Amino acid sequence: MKRRQFIIGTGALAAASRAAQAADDVVIGVVYPLTGNGAAVGLDAKAAYEVAAKIINDTHAPIGVAMGKGGGLDKLGGAKIKLVFADSQNDPQKARAEAERLITQDKAVAIVGSYTSATGATISQVTERYEVPYISADNSSPSLNQRGLKWFFRTGPHDEMFTKGMFDFLADVAKKTGKPAKSVALFYEDSIFGTDSSNVQRKLAAAAGLPVAADIRYRASSPSLSTEAQKLKAANADVLLPSSYTSDAILILKAMNEIGYKPKAILAQAAGFQESAFMQGAGALAEGAMSRSSFALDADKLRPAIPVVNGLYKAHNNKDMNDNTSREITALLVLADAINRAGSAKPDDIRKALIATDMPGSQTIMPWAGVKFDETGQNTMCNPVIQQVFDGTYKTVWPFDLAAKDVVWNVGS
Amino acid sequence: MENFITRRRRKELIVAGLLLAVAVFAPMAIRDVTALNVIILSLLFAGLAQAWNIIGGYCGQISLGHAVYFGMGSYVSTLLYVQAGLPPSAGIFIGGAVGGLAALLVGWPCFRLSGHYYAIATVVVGEIGYLLFLNWDYVGGATGVYIPIAKPSLINLQFGKDKLPYLHLVLAFVAATWLAAWLIEGSRWGYAWRAVKDDVVAARSLGVNIFASKMAASAISGFFTGLGGAIYGLYVGYIDPDSVMAGHFSILIALPTVLGGVGTLWGPILGAALLIPLKELSSSYLGGSGRGVDLMLYGAMIIVVALARPQGLVSLFGGRKHGAP
Repeated sequence: MKRRQFIIGTGALAAASRAAQAADDVVIGVVYPLTGNGAAVGLDAKAAYEVAAKIINDTHAPIGVAMGKGGGLDKLGGAKIKLVFADSQNDPQKARAEAERLITQDKAVAIVGSYTSATGATISQVTERYEVPYISADNSSPSLNQRGLKWFFRTGPHDEMFTKGMFDFLADVAKKTGKPAKSVALFYEDSIFGTDSSNVQRKLAAAAGLPVAADIRYRASSPSLSTEAQKLKAANADVLLPSSYTSDAILILKAMNEIGYKPKAILAQAAGFQESAFMQGAGALAEGAMSRSSFALDADKLRPAIPVVNGLYKAHNNKDMNDNTSREITALLVLADAINRAGSAKPDDIRKALIATDMPGSQTIMPWAGVKFDETGQNTMCNPVIQQVFDGTYKTVWPFDLAAKDVVWNVGS
Repeated sequence: MENFITRRRRKELIVAGLLLAVAVFAPMAIRDVTALNVIILSLLFAGLAQAWNIIGGYCGQISLGHAVYFGMGSYVSTLLYVQAGLPPSAGIFIGGAVGGLAALLVGWPCFRLSGHYYAIATVVVGEIGYLLFLNWDYVGGATGVYIPIAKPSLINLQFGKDKLPYLHLVLAFVAATWLAAWLIEGSRWGYAWRAVKDDVVAARSLGVNIFASKMAASAISGFFTGLGGAIYGLYVGYIDPDSVMAGHFSILIALPTVLGGVGTLWGPILGAALLIPLKELSSSYLGGSGRGVDLMLYGAMIIVVALARPQGLVSLFGGRKHGAP
């Protein structure tokens, strides 16, 4: 019975109106690191899913996203989405056990998760065995959807798509400004994230005919990165491509600044560069840095629903949506839309509806072309954007038709 | 005296047999997967703790690098399966053998160190192993290795949704480690190892080969730890350096023994039976509310036991602490 404490369904409002409900709730399991390392991201994710559930379940003015008209799942007699959260502690073993518990005890008909790719790996094995869909909102390892799983669906981009976006941007900006980048420097931390990211970057740089002037792997959370900064200065590549978490991102900018080196362009693989702590820590040094993102808070002209959803999220969690939380909200909306179209809470029907998903980008809060899964369960239409820091905030600069600001491009000048 | 010891050992064997019979059949009544999961993990760590007990308890060499043997076992059996198609039912034993071999390799230089220096060296070895696997592309590096989902069978050691076969697998593992410890206790080796633990100089004067004793104990311990690691990898279905080689596994393997009673037959099992459910359940049910409550409980329990019962919890049962100094 203690688990009840963890069940955050449709909020207090929905609890009050539970008596009025005709249809059974549709239970969806949500697995995130709610304690330990990764807890900060997990708790934000929890808030994001609660907001998405509110959008689906509550009665409110229509919002311009899938399931945005509220009032529950109309094809299931107004059934509500009920979320059950579980704590993975960022441990693959724990994530596996919790997913299993959600399916067998809480009767979850689908699982959503899970931030780190290692936990996504074990959760998706459980869902495959139990034959319920797993919606990966934010696991970004490219290997996840290449295992021939039938029940795996990823609404967001994986790292290869992110990196491809970065190189597409380099090609586009060269065309636009007439000043192509002539070399890149890779700088990445040594865990799964940095390793995967650099592997793809090396491949794509070769494909684009861009020489890699420096290829620097460093120990994550190093106390000092001054040697690495020296190497970057010596290589002096046109574009620095860092794959770093927050503290390392701040540290390398400071280390380069100390030796009087400012790269002509920095194009980051998000992560630390997209954290608010980075902006505070790096201050003026972050100015002009670019980063890929799957979300553009300033794309409200193209996606009028963004300010509305962001308002709900801010009211709930007292911060703006970011790269992760926007993907999480989108994942639940896509799943709810599929359940509604299926008209059934049977995992098999939900899976069929997910496969048939063809959602235009305008039905989401993302700058994507849309949501449509290929045979591996990967959404192929979730193109990333490139953002640049202007006065301490990221503004979208690419794709150019989405741009809130013109890109500042110092290469070749 | 001889008679008394023989009788006592026979009694231990009978008790163990009865317990095993109960453990084989009792879980069949349990349908709850969370409970089964906790039982499986507890049993697995009981076996691992018993493996640690062989070197840390009977031979008195405190190893804080067992995560390396654990990780080696899971990597070797997983890679043999994924890369070479060798069924895990055979692969886990090769994983165990490599774990034992690794223990010998670590022991070769490190057993020349004595006392705390050996323990410190094993910590370093643990960290080296972790970094090596993190940066080694052939073994998947930081990306880790997925164990493909295969048809449930005894050959694949995959049982799909069914938890009971897993439980019996780890039960067999615990039984094997317990039996090994029981055999060691009564053997010439066991006496020699305990002599090494109590007083190296005295043992040497009695003609005990110190280095060989430590190496043998280490190899057996490494073998079972690798075997346990291989089973763990199969059970979780995915391995990466963080989930099988991280330093906290070294502690988690040693802790049940320390808590339950070092150098005793039942200490590791008792310690694991208490520690692992506490860890799993407190993190499941308290983890969401207050941060780190589970860890505090954990720490508090160890402090209490260390203060009140330095011989370990097993001494509460009025048992002899044979093997302990």
